[in-house]
Amino acid sequence: MILELFRFEMRQQLRSPLLWLLAGLFALLAFGAASSDAVQVGGAIGNVYRNAPIVTIQFLSIFTLMGMLICGVFVASALLRDFEAGTADLLFANPIKKRDFLIGRFLAALAACFVIYLVIASGIFIAQFMPWIEPVRLGAVRLAPFVFGLGVMVIPNVLFTCALLSLLAVTTRSVLWVYVGILGFLLAYIIGTVLVQDLDNVWLVTLCDPFGMRALSHTVRYWSASERNQLIPELSSYLLANRVLWSVLSIAIAAAALKFFRTDRAGTGRAWFKRSANAAPLLAKPFKAGAITAAPSFGASTAWLQCLAQLKFDALGIFKSAPFIVMLLFALINLIPNALFAETMYDTPIYPHTSQIIDALNMAYSWLLLIISMFYAGELIWKERQAKLSDVIDAMPTPNWSPLLAKLGALVLVIAVFQIAGALIGMLIQLGKGHMTLEPLLYLKGITLGAVYFVLIAGLALALQVYANNKFIGYALMILILLLQLAAASLDFTHNLYQYGSSPALIYSDMNGYGHFLKARLIFQGYWALWLVCLLLLASALWMRGTFTSNQERMKLAKARLKGPLGAALTVSIVGVIALGSFIFWNTNVRNNFLSPSQQLDLLARYERDFKKYAAMPQPKIISVDLDIDLRPETQTMRAQGHYRIRNPHAVPLKEVHIQMNDDDSLTQLDFQSPQAPGATLTFHDKDVGYRIYTLSQPILPGTERDLHFSVVLEPNGFTNSMAQTQIVENGSFFNSRAFPSFGYEKRFEIDDRSERRRRKLGEPERMAKLEDQAARANTYLTDDADWIAYKTNICTAPDQIALAPGYLKADVMRDGRRCFSYEMDRPMLNFYAYLSARWQVKKARYKDVALEVYYDAKHPQNVDRMLDSMQKSLSYFEANFSPYQHRQARVIEFPAYASFAQAFANTIPYSENIGFIADLRDPEAIDYVFYLTAHEIAHQWWAHQVIGANVQGATMLSESLAQYSALMVMEKEYGKDKMRKFLKYELDRYLSSRGGEILDEQPLYRNENQNYIHYRKGSLAFYRLREDMGEAALNRALAKFIAAKAYQTAPYTTSLELIGFLRAEAPPQVQQLITDLFEKISFYDNRIDTATAVKQANGKYLVTIQAHAEKRYADGTGKETATAMDDMIEIGVFSGSGAKARTLYLKRERITTGKPEFQILVDELPTEVGFDPNNKLIDRVSADNRKSVSVSEASASP
Amino acid sequence: MLSIRNLCKTYANGVRALNDVSLDVPAGMFGLLGPNGAGKSSLMRTIATLQEADSGSIEFDGLNVLSDKDAVRRQLGYLPQDFGVYPKVTAEALLDHFATLKGYTARAERKEVVEALLNKVNLWDARKRQLGGFSGGMRQRFGIAQALIGAPKLVIVDEPTAGLDPEERNRFLNLLADIGAQVVVILSTHIVEDVTDLCPQMAIINKGQVLLAGEPMAAIAQLKSKIWRAVVSKAALPVLSEKLNVLSSRLVGGKPVLHVYSEGQPEVGFEQIEPDLEDVYFQRLRLHSKAA
Repeated sequence: MILELFRFEMRQQLRSPLLWLLAGLFALLAFGAASSDAVQVGGAIGNVYRNAPIVTIQFLSIFTLMGMLICGVFVASALLRDFEAGTADLLFANPIKKRDFLIGRFLAALAACFVIYLVIASGIFIAQFMPWIEPVRLGAVRLAPFVFGLGVMVIPNVLFTCALLSLLAVTTRSVLWVYVGILGFLLAYIIGTVLVQDLDNVWLVTLCDPFGMRALSHTVRYWSASERNQLIPELSSYLLANRVLWSVLSIAIAAAALKFFRTDRAGTGRAWFKRSANAAPLLAKPFKAGAITAAPSFGASTAWLQCLAQLKFDALGIFKSAPFIVMLLFALINLIPNALFAETMYDTPIYPHTSQIIDALNMAYSWLLLIISMFYAGELIWKERQAKLSDVIDAMPTPNWSPLLAKLGALVLVIAVFQIAGALIGMLIQLGKGHMTLEPLLYLKGITLGAVYFVLIAGLALALQVYANNKFIGYALMILILLLQLAAASLDFTHNLYQYGSSPALIYSDMNGYGHFLKARLIFQGYWALWLVCLLLLASALWMRGTFTSNQERMKLAKARLKGPLGAALTVSIVGVIALGSFIFWNTNVRNNFLSPSQQLDLLARYERDFKKYAAMPQPKIISVDLDIDLRPETQTMRAQGHYRIRNPHAVPLKEVHIQMNDDDSLTQLDFQSPQAPGATLTFHDKDVGYRIYTLSQPILPGTERDLHFSVVLEPNGFTNSMAQTQIVENGSFFNSRAFPSFGYEKRFEIDDRSERRRRKLGEPERMAKLEDQAARANTYLTDDADWIAYKTNICTAPDQIALAPGYLKADVMRDGRRCFSYEMDRPMLNFYAYLSARWQVKKARYKDVALEVYYDAKHPQNVDRMLDSMQKSLSYFEANFSPYQHRQARVIEFPAYASFAQAFANTIPYSENIGFIADLRDPEAIDYVFYLTAHEIAHQWWAHQVIGANVQGATMLSESLAQYSALMVMEKEYGKDKMRKFLKYELDRYLSSRGGEILDEQPLYRNENQNYIHYRKGSLAFYRLREDMGEAALNRALAKFIAAKAYQTAPYTTSLELIGFLRAEAPPQVQQLITDLFEKISFYDNRIDTATAVKQANGKYLVTIQAHAEKRYADGTGKETATAMDDMIEIGVFSGSGAKARTLYLKRERITTGKPEFQILVDELPTEVGFDPNNKLIDRVSADNRKSVSVSEASASP
Repeated sequence: MLSIRNLCKTYANGVRALNDVSLDVPAGMFGLLGPNGAGKSSLMRTIATLQEADSGSIEFDGLNVLSDKDAVRRQLGYLPQDFGVYPKVTAEALLDHFATLKGYTARAERKEVVEALLNKVNLWDARKRQLGGFSGGMRQRFGIAQALIGAPKLVIVDEPTAGLDPEERNRFLNLLADIGAQVVVILSTHIVEDVTDLCPQMAIINKGQVLLAGEPMAAIAQLKSKIWRAVVSKAALPVLSEKLNVLSSRLVGGKPVLHVYSEGQPEVGFEQIEPDLEDVYFQRLRLHSKAA
């Protein structure tokens, strides 16, 4: 019987065009994602083969999550079809056991879903044969990943999905509720992902994921590119446990579904709430003839009042419905973790400023509210027809436009309720976190601006539902449009003029509000609003009233309707769209230059092709800079008069000076004229890339100097397609030396990405010159325009603002209603300076005779003292251990949230409002990254501003890695070793997970090519371990000697090789190999505890026996590993208690030379946990297995 | 008051729903009889401004129904054949909403209208109940209440008694009869008795054509002494159907009872009976299907 039911149902399902349509759609998506970057599913593929096993397996897994929605269709249809169609009674009048029915139908739905995944898998499989994929991006054609993906990931996941959905279907008996359930599940899943990001609980994290994706990603977490290309994950450990657990649970859920399944009619079972009114019997009374005196009236306002009533009726209908309430709750539950954990670094929370909460709101709602808007558009348009009420309502005396407008209004209200509820929750979160300054007006602005896109989408969805005149086609059209837009964007069609609803990004900053970005945003949104008006007017013409018997009739009627005011309104709005569109085009493409991402890359490629030949051409060096700046924050304008004193440091005369400008138009004037020397003529000018060649009338002779005068004007010209420039803003301007002319070819513009280069026939990328390249040592890695410069500047700004630049304040006066500052640096500095201007509060302190200042926004006073404290302690440690501080002043300056970094200029440290200033450090357990980041930036005054590396590989090890080490030392003094462990665990984790995303080669630390995950993350780990092994005093001695030898040097600049030389000179012999491993190799450990037992001794002590596993391997740039001999100092520890509360009973470093070391340790107390490198000081690919709990037994009888 | 001239409608699938229909409908109840698929609903939906005609004209009280839809809608009450409700909304709330759409935008007047109508259709006690819990008869009564909002001059009710038990059906027909003689009430049905009981005027349509229009009594009178009845055996049925002009055959107490149209006694055992509207109905349908 089961078989017969299964076969019948399977036939039904396989005959359904919907199945093939959805399977085809998903397969197309999978095919697109696997064959090109134009379509992305769960992120970009990255640097591995397009058909790498792990890519295939991850695609298939992600589709099982996305596929819940389509599985919902089949499960609901299989289980509920008969109840919805009312054929259930017919069916169960036959002698069918409900068990057989359910199992048969369930298996058929399961099989149907699996068929879809087979189709998807075929899409992925076929993708690798597409001719447009570069052969280097492909590995061998293999079936095994598909077998693994389908067998290990897809089948258990489909089983789980179908079981869960069946349970939902049989308990709710409503397709709608099945969908609400899916939505809820997906949300819970996403929230769960956020909540279980606790690093230490890997088993919990991986086991609680029904889809096994976290188990999968944990298994391959630290895989290198080459492993990703070759290996198929092992079905063991997390993955095996997860798969078994959820398969068993799925069967249990399915069994529960069977138990709850009833074959009787809906509504005849036990109801949870019974309304007594429903039970009251109705007496058949004689009819009363009521006299109706009032007559309907039709006036000018009638139609509007009717529309309003319809709006109210529709909106209330939605608000009172359970699905709406459930979805609203889901959205809010989704918001809470977003708001609570927004923008955290090192898991330290932030103060919930309104702007952060609004960001979180937008993040939490983005796709959710999109789906909800689309969903309710369909529901509203079909509401009357689904209830079979359309004939009644269509025959009522209301105008055609009224229902459509009412439904749009109802949708706007739905969106508004979501936004307002979100804002209220946001305020509650703020109050809960003790943030007492609520900004309801800002919330209102934020949620209104946030709602516009959803309203545009909701309106489009409404219009499409009307055009399609079929609910599912309406939904499909909407999804198709969204997908097409995504595809178009990745195919380089990125202009907001044809990306429906899109507009330039808008960032709110506590310092600068919405700034000048709001204008363009509103203009674009106005343009799309006009589009929406057109679409809705057209929908109004095509509005279904009564029945149309043919499409021709519908068109005829639409034409007739368009002859009236409707047509006039449509014409006006089309004219409006064209007019506003033209205005936008004039601004974005005529007054400004619009380049798509690919065009930008093309331009860079051309730059490299045309101008790389000049890379080695001798150019002058700047020896002094004098800038006169007129800053107009009010109009986002800056005018600068500049003077460079330049010098020819080469042995040959310079006939040409090559000038490079980032923004060619901004350089309005440039001349070499001076009383002593004649000028130069502009002999070549490439405006697109900003490259100019000036031929000097009189060459600059070796060793001689010349003056260079220029004017730079930065001034907005209308608005742009992407977000406007963020450098010069009303409050919080921040721009640097890059705004001014530089000399010669800029290597930093070269494209790094291999495939983008190949596409443009550019050859292999070279991020930096080789470490051994002696010629490249002529320049620092920051600039080839200068060595050390003398610097002074004047800057005038708005009267209520302070303007800052490196150097010491010489004057602060009012001139012509502007506030003017003069700064002058009293010693040579790098050719790297910044200007900042804003309305700040200032807090001052001192360290010895050094003036310390923090310039901060009035809203962000919380951590200013921490910063000053860190500045004092940093200066103290660095002066004691490295060399004297070269300035008499250090300033931390807050800038708006358009970027999230801190950066060290000479005695000047711009610091984003997004980091540090809003960190919530009230929890003493939290990592104080404010203290640490400040220390890092202060350390740069030594590591970059005293010693600067040559422009070769490894240069950032001298600046960033040493700044990391220096900051770690200051932080360790302040917070102790335990905190360091927590901090370094983050560094280890980020290093290991980032190296998989490397797009070229991973380099050893001493050859790193400005790679963040190496010079910061691995840098911290390497220097901290070196400190452990050679001691802080010896290491600092080496660094002090290095500074003494290399500070303020000129060419040839120093390199990482020289630093390693200094380190080796101070390091004892047994540490020499470690230096090789840390800096010159990419080395990994695989250390773990295999067994740990303890026996209680007669004297009450415990003898702990530990068997460990030790392994060291070297990796190459692509992640291929080779084993190597072990000879390292590694800590062995025994602890009482576990986790954060563990007490150390024993901790000692041992020299390990074998792969299977064994230890016997006598401790005084009952041990609970042992560890082999328990504090993760080594770069261990799997850090969690370094600790293990001890099995304790009583003393044996034998002595 | 309502005059339909040469109304034609052919659907995209080729079905001729209305084939040159001309009718004059005076004030009062007008019955529209016809089998399923005869075109009754198409005709009524066209009058109710819900469907376009290919050609022809409809005029109501000086208004062109096909072009001046909004004016017609202000005087229209319509109860469609397959009438649904929002299950979670109460009778009062939905009727109130409908009243707004019908032009009662002032709250006080609307309240009065809704109350009066709920009383009229005897749903006052059930006004706070959700419509999903209504029986078929209550739902139809609610339907007529909404059709009567705004004192319409043209009321169209499409197959309202299908599926009602006899008591509810009576109650419903009484309601219709109450509406008044000044108003055009078009009642479409395939239940002949509904028309006999209520309608001074009627039309029979089949396959989009009007077979008969006029007073039921006159039509019945035409068949006087031409209708014959007999109780026959089941075995004899096929032969008789072949031989005679059988209008209807139904089982009474398990035995077939035939009505036959004949100028004289068709067979031994047939007795002459007084014709009723049902005989008229079947006679016209038989005639029409023979002609076709």
